[in-house]
Amino acid sequence: MSRRLASTCIKLIFYLKYKNAVPRSNTKIEPKLLPGDLAIWLFIFMELLVFGIFFMVYAVMRIQNIEQFNYYQLTLNRELGAANTLLLITSSYFIVKAVHAVKANNIKNCIYWLYAALAGGLGFLILKTWEYIDKFSAGISLSTNTFYMFYLSLTIFHFMHVILGMLILFAIVIKAKGGAYSAENYIGVETGASYWHMVDLVWIILFPLVYIMR
Amino acid sequence: MMLLTISTYAVGELDYSGVIAVSFLLLTALIKGSFIIRDFMELKGVALIWRVIMYGWLWTVCLVIATTYFISI
Repeated sequence: MSRRLASTCIKLIFYLKYKNAVPRSNTKIEPKLLPGDLAIWLFIFMELLVFGIFFMVYAVMRIQNIEQFNYYQLTLNRELGAANTLLLITSSYFIVKAVHAVKANNIKNCIYWLYAALAGGLGFLILKTWEYIDKFSAGISLSTNTFYMFYLSLTIFHFMHVILGMLILFAIVIKAKGGAYSAENYIGVETGASYWHMVDLVWIILFPLVYIMR
Repeated sequence: MMLLTISTYAVGELDYSGVIAVSFLLLTALIKGSFIIRDFMELKGVALIWRVIMYGWLWTVCLVIATTYFISI
C-alpha cells in the first residue's frame, strides 16, 4: 500500500514539475554535404597543401635575401598582377552564377556563365603570357636569382592550374550542352566550380605575397 | 572583393612597407579568402572538419607569412 502511495506521489511530483515543459525539438540539423565530388576535394586539399608549403618556403627564404627580394620585386608588373586578380575573382563569381543557374534548371544560362568564366580564365592566361614574354625576353629565367626562381616557379605552377581548371570547365560545358546536367543532377558542375574557386583562392594569397609585400 | 584587390594594388603603388602594410595585406587576403571559402565555394553549413581544413589552411599560411615578415622587418 505504502509503495503504491509513494509511486503515486512521485508521479504527481513529476507531473507538476514537467507539465508546462515544452518538448525540446531534438531534430539535429544535419550538416550540408560538400558541394561536388569528394574526390575533387581531396585533390583540392593536396593542391592547397603544396601551394601552402610553397608560400611558406618563399616567406622563409626571403628572410635570407631581403634586399634581393625587395629589389627584384619592383621589376614585376603590378598592374598585370592586379588585373589578373580582378579577372579571377570575376570569373569565380560567374562560376557561382553558373551553379545557381543549373540548380534552377536553367541550363542555357548555366552554359553562358561557364563561357563567361572561361573568358575570364583566358584573359588571365593572356595577361600572364604577356608578363612572361616580357621577363624571358629580358633574359630572366629560373636560374637568374632566388627571387625570380620563386616568382617563375610559383606563378607557372599556378598558371598550369588555371589551364587545368579551364579544361575541366570546358568539359562541363560540353556535357551541359549534351543535357547531362539538371536541377536533379549538378554534382559535375559543382565539382568543376570547387576546383576553379581553389585556383582563385591560391592567387588571392600569391598576388600580395609575391607582387606587393615588402 | 574588387575594392580589397584595388586597395592591395594601391599599397604596392604607394610603396608602403613594414609591419602595418604587411598586416593590412594579409588581413585583406584573409577576408577575401574567407569570402571565397564561404560564399563562392559555399562551404557554409558543411561538416565542421571540411571548414576547419579550409580556414585552417588560410590562417596557417597567412600567420606563417606574417611571422617571417615581422621577423625580417
